[in-house]
Amino acid sequence: MVFAIMVTVFSILNPRYFSTASFGNIMQDFAPVMLMAIGQTFVIITGGIDLSVGAVLGLSGVSAALTVRATTANGIDPGLSIAAGIGTALLVGVLVGVINGLLVTRVNLAPFIATLATMGACMGTTLVVTGGVQIAGAPAEVVQIGNTRYLDVFTAPLLVALVILVVAAVVLSKTRFGRHTYAIGSNVFAARVAGINVKRHLMKVYVLGGVLASIAGLFVYFRLGSGSPASGRGGELQAIAAAVIGGVSLMGGLGRVTGAALGALITASVLSGLILIGVEPNAQQIVVGALIAVAVAVQGIGRSNAGS
Amino acid sequence: MTAQQPVYEARGISKRYGNVIALDDVDFSVAAGEVVGLVGDNGAGKSTLVKALSGAHRPNSGELYLDGERVEWHSPQQALEAGIETLYQDSSLAPDLSVSANMFLGREQLVPGFWGKLGFLANKRMDEVASQELQNVGIAVPSSTRSISKLSGGQRQAVAIGRAVSWANKVIILDEPTNHLGARQSAEVLHVVKAARERGLAVIFISHTLPHVLEVTDRIVVLRLGKVSVEAPTSEFTPDTLVKAITGLSGAA
Ligand SMILES: Nc1ncnc2c1ncn2[C@@H]1O[C@H](COP(=O)(O)OP(=O)(O)O)[C@@H](O)[C@H]1O
Ligand SMILES: [Mg+2]
Repeated sequence: MVFAIMVTVFSILNPRYFSTASFGNIMQDFAPVMLMAIGQTFVIITGGIDLSVGAVLGLSGVSAALTVRATTANGIDPGLSIAAGIGTALLVGVLVGVINGLLVTRVNLAPFIATLATMGACMGTTLVVTGGVQIAGAPAEVVQIGNTRYLDVFTAPLLVALVILVVAAVVLSKTRFGRHTYAIGSNVFAARVAGINVKRHLMKVYVLGGVLASIAGLFVYFRLGSGSPASGRGGELQAIAAAVIGGVSLMGGLGRVTGAALGALITASVLSGLILIGVEPNAQQIVVGALIAVAVAVQGIGRSNAGS
Repeated sequence: MTAQQPVYEARGISKRYGNVIALDDVDFSVAAGEVVGLVGDNGAGKSTLVKALSGAHRPNSGELYLDGERVEWHSPQQALEAGIETLYQDSSLAPDLSVSANMFLGREQLVPGFWGKLGFLANKRMDEVASQELQNVGIAVPSSTRSISKLSGGQRQAVAIGRAVSWANKVIILDEPTNHLGARQSAEVLHVVKAARERGLAVIFISHTLPHVLEVTDRIVVLRLGKVSVEAPTSEFTPDTLVKAITGLSGAA
């Protein structure tokens, strides 16, 4: 319903908003946000939070771009070099996820501190490896993969994202892995004394978050054909906004992947809408922050009504 | 009863939390078909002993014997697998999950075949078995698909007890199971405890409600400041001597 109102408002403000072409654009913005939001959903349901996803997106994108550029410069064929780029990006995601998981489960840092640290480390690494400049020079195939649209809307990354959405929704709602994810966030003591290996489970969840963020980074790279050190900035806020708008409780234990995906759609639409009506990029962060505040407040009202 | 070989025995258990000595060289045992009452003032160390027995904590020193064999718990799961079930004083239910999800927490049943290998839950089956088990234990819960957060405090406690009783096959540890319960619900819990004894389980029953302890136990162990101060068959206590043993106003029962 919120979504319908929003589309209407933006369509009135700018008639171009509601066209297939711009819908396709929104979907391209939506895919990375949704992937980060899905990872975020698993993490938040365990009672944690992952502030590093935006920075992982950025670092994965530039890692892929650097790998592809270096390998093609050495005469390796584009297919192989793109595969190497994908591999590097995924490795970044796994690595940061492992570090997040270790900091949370072995060093016992609060998730918000642990992932704030890796967020800083990733942003720093991104600037160091790129020298702060855009990594261009990708083979034409990259942009082709990222931008060829089927039925005017579906790009390959979007299709991959939709498959991931379905798999993640099923895993969370139908499998033991999902059940343990909820149990840990609902009452970690209960999970532990019921024999669930909480540390190992949390490791997996943070790695999942890292990997999904790195896939999001790949999507951005495939779309632009270059790795920008600026991409992913504020991505963690968008992912958290998407999750909480979609009904994922920051207290842990409650929420659905499908809700987060809808939240991502709303967040991406708002951002696209803001661009179309000419709001400058920096001001968009304010809107995302406000979205989070409103969504959490609405959840709080729902909770206290349910309680009374 | 005490002449019987104990099923579960702890020898020389000590546990410190920083400077606090919560348990100091405690010996404790329970036999099959026996209900042992563990009593003592707040902070006496009862819950700490429970956590050592259930594998939730590792004691600093001491040994555990199950059926006469030395055991060591590196996780609560190992104790569970050995047949030791525990109702903790702090809630060990996940409020956002359903009754049956809690009954099967950590022991989920999967659908048969390929999908089961992928981890797909047999929810329907678990819902049915959970209702059945709770009924067998003598506990009435509206529906096993209901979320724990929608149950009253008494109903939650009933689910927790039902879970412990239905999974236990050797030892069941109940840390203050009648706390916050009304008279009728307490009576139900005591009934469940007696039924567990009939089934030949070893029961450790912890409570501040001394009439319950006197009614349901065969033997009473009194902890005071982390040590066993008095231990005797329940028949040797009167309400008065039990209070005195707990408060330390008299040496023996
Ligand atoms: N997690 C803990 N950290 C620090 N001190 C603790 C902890 N748990 C228990 N204690 C201390 O150990 C002592 C025994 O506590 P406990 O076993 O809970 O007693 P009881 O269950 O008999 O009331 C108390 O002094 C308590 O404050
Ligand atoms: Mg206690």
